[in-house]
Order: sequence, then structure tokens, then C-alpha cells
Amino acid sequence: MADVLLVDDDKRFLDATVQLLGLLGHSVTAADSVAQARELISKNVYTHMILDLILPDGSGLHLLEALPTPNTTKITLITGHPSVKSIVKNLYGSNIGYLIKPIDLQQLESLFEEKKLAFAKSESSIKLHFGYLVGESAPMRHLYEMIERVAATKANVMLLGESGVGKEMVAAAIHYASQVEGDYVAANCGAFSRELINSELFGHEKGAFTGATHRKIGVFEQANKGTLFLDEITEMPIDLQPNLLRVLETQKVTRLGATTSVDIEGRVVSATNRTEQDMAVQGCLREDLYFRLAVFPIHIPPLRARKEDIPLLVQHFLAGFNQEYNGAIGINDESMKRLIDYDWPGNVRELRHAIHRAYIMADQQQKVLVLPENLTSPFSKVAHQSQAGIRVGKTVEEVERELIESTLEHFDGDKKQAADILGISLKTLYNRLNSYGNVEL
Amino acid sequence: MDGEKNRFVHDLRNPLNTISINAELGKLTLERTGDIRKAISIFETILTECQQCSQVLETLHNTRFTRALDSSSEGGET
Repeated sequence: MADVLLVDDDKRFLDATVQLLGLLGHSVTAADSVAQARELISKNVYTHMILDLILPDGSGLHLLEALPTPNTTKITLITGHPSVKSIVKNLYGSNIGYLIKPIDLQQLESLFEEKKLAFAKSESSIKLHFGYLVGESAPMRHLYEMIERVAATKANVMLLGESGVGKEMVAAAIHYASQVEGDYVAANCGAFSRELINSELFGHEKGAFTGATHRKIGVFEQANKGTLFLDEITEMPIDLQPNLLRVLETQKVTRLGATTSVDIEGRVVSATNRTEQDMAVQGCLREDLYFRLAVFPIHIPPLRARKEDIPLLVQHFLAGFNQEYNGAIGINDESMKRLIDYDWPGNVRELRHAIHRAYIMADQQQKVLVLPENLTSPFSKVAHQSQAGIRVGKTVEEVERELIESTLEHFDGDKKQAADILGISLKTLYNRLNSYGNVEL
Repeated sequence: MDGEKNRFVHDLRNPLNTISINAELGKLTLERTGDIRKAISIFETILTECQQCSQVLETLHNTRFTRALDSSSEGGET
């Protein structure tokens, strides 16, 4: 059974179709205007939305923009002429169905049959906050409140959090919540080469430098009246940061090689995986720029601080993969427990990766995910090990202790083997361990 | 002239669409519920819509627009 939202201003057609779909066993809600439908969408989740293109208070297409993204609602447009198909396809992609007037039963039924299987399996009941965020834990509730508050203002936001916590998702959520007229534009400051960073950010005029064969609009202008997301802001070379500061202060962008400036407004959401303390100590962000960007800093919690959200995230990712691969894979309690117990140093990104991998390895008979023996990601090990090793300022004792402990860990606590490799006697090894106070090792 | 033609096509297509949906509804109602009263009211809707179509055609006949339609390459479209 599908949950259908039917939007059409022709009352007789609406009445008959509601009854017809009802007889076919679907639950139908009818709306006769964009405004009414918009209100319904904001409060309910529908599996299908059937839309008239032209409604008294605007185009049905406006409703597509009102839908949270990503969503699983199957969109169908009612049209009088098949030529509309190609136009809409160019605008909104091919994932839209069509009913060509005059509509008959076969057309209506095909709408549900075609996707019946996929929907029964992939329908996700997980609530998306601001169209992007999953989780009902206290840290996430707090985050939602912060997003709501800042969305009502024009303040620049700095997102702080470990790698993989979903900073780009939060940036998109802030844009979504702000309901601004401009676009959301994302740029990664760590990905630009030093030579091109100014032109990427601010644009250039034709002939501004060798190779500038045409005018380029920078991301600041692209995001005018919208939201500009600057990821890895702390990776921007420090001597180029004053340019960024000037744009933020004057709210004017001058393209390279241009004589006049362009007024810009909008919100800058920046992000870094360094802590505020790191930024201050390592000096990777100018202090004046920090205060411009972090008018409203938001800390995104690591996944291990919101373990109760893991089942929701798993279901959300599973629903996505099931839809993508047209499958019906689930998860058993034992696997779920392992996922909850694991620490996720790579956060939600690592979780998604693990689910994707387990999905590919899934048991097709039992229709369940198959997790690897060991969940640890190679990167979390690297991060861990990089803490060890020789660094200026460490004492010889500390380095020796690390060496002994890592070696023991490598041989699963086998002291004989560790002593051999370290080139010391077993007795010396025991003496050292005794002095660390962990004889149990 | 194009706008007028479009409106005419629209004015015919909508009642045709309502007729189509109601005919399907009538069929399904009789098959599944056997509710004759309901079916009769559905047929009445269909008849009203047929009259609507007829009226549109009548106004068309009485306007100079027919000539424009005749000379149009897409004149046969319903």
C-alpha cells in the first residue's frame, strides 16, 4: 500500500482519482493548491506524489524543491502532452514518472507496480532533520537547536569536528534551514592549488593571467544570497588568508583582473577538523579571520559520543543501498551489536563505508549484512601509530617504553618473541615491564 | 492565436481526463463493490463532462478560431 499525495486543482478529477486509488488499496491525501500541498509535505512523508504541472497558485514543480533531499518520494507529473517529459527531465533528472491525460487505470496501476518491490524494501522510516541529518540522540538534538537558531540569523558559522562526522551535511542542513534564495556552493580549500585559490574563490576576468581564456565566476559570487561552504579552511595558505578576510569585511568581491567589485551577501560556513586550540597553537588560521568566520562555532559530535544513533544511521544507509541496488538486505541483532560496540574513529563516514562493504558481502540467502571479522579501518591504525615514534621533546625512557609496548602488542603479548626481536633478554624485558607497573602485560 | 489554441486543447483535455478516470472508477466500483447507486452517480459525472466537451466544441464552431485551427499544422490534435 502506498501513501499518496495527489495535487490537482480539477476537483472532479481529484475526487474520482482519490476514490479510484482508494479502491486499489492506497491511502490518498488530496490537495488542490501548491500552498496546501507544501504544508502537507512539511508534516507528512509520502511514498508517492502525483502532481499537476499547473496549479492556480503556481507550478507543481515548486513542490519538488520543497521536498527534503535526499528523499524516496516517487514523483509523478500529470501532463497533457508527452513533450513536457523532456523539458522536465532536463530540469529535474529522469527519476520522475508521468501520467499522460486522459489517464486510465492501466497508467495509474503501472505507477505503483513498477516500484512496488523496491519500495517495500527501501522505504526508510528514518527521519531526516533539515533534509540531511540522521539521529535522535541528545548531542544531535542540541546540534539541531543550534542549526535552527543560526538559520534565523546571517551569522557566519564555523563547523568543528573530527574527520567523517558529516560537516558538509551540516553545512547543507544550515542552508536548507535558512531558506535563502541563493544557492549552496561547496568548495574545499585544501583541494585548490596555491596558484589557483584566489581565482577559484573570487573569479577572474578573461586575460587576467596566462591561461585565463574566459571569465570565471568565483565561488563567492556563485553563492551570492546563498550559502558558501569552505571546507578545510585551515588548509588555506596563511599568506593568502588576508584576501579572504577582506572579502568578508567589505562584502565585495573583485575578480582577478577586474577594475570594479561586485557586492555579495550570504552566509559563509567554514569547516575544519582541527580543534580551536590546535588552530591557535599551530597558527594555521589568522586570528582576525577566525573571528570573522566563527561568529557562531558549532561542534559536531563524534559518532562514539552518540552511539544510540548508530541503529538509525545503519537503517538509513541500508535503505539507501537497498534502493540503489534494488535489494532487500537487512541486519541481524548480532551484527548491529558489533556496530554499536565499535568505536568508529572515522565516524559516520567510516560507518557508511563499513555498511557498504558489508552490503556487498551480504548473505543473499539470509538477506543479511555480513560484517568483516575485524571492523578496524586501516586508517584508524595509522592515526594511532603516528602518535608513537620519535619526536623532539620525548625522553629516551618514553621512546623505549613505546617501543617495548608496541612490540609486545604486535606479538599478542608473547614476551619471548618480543625480547628476541628487541635484542634484549627476557629478564630485562620483565624488569622494564615491572618498572612501568604493568606486569600483567 | 497560439494561446487560444492551447486553451481550447486544455479545455477539452481536462473533461476527457475526468471522463476517463470516472469510467475506470465506475468499472472498478461495480467489479469490487457492486454499489449500483455509486455507479449511477459516477455515470452522471461522466455525462456532465461529456456535455462540457460538447459545449467547448460548440463555442469553437462559433468563433473565427476554427479557421486558425484549420490552417495550423497541428489542427488535428485533441
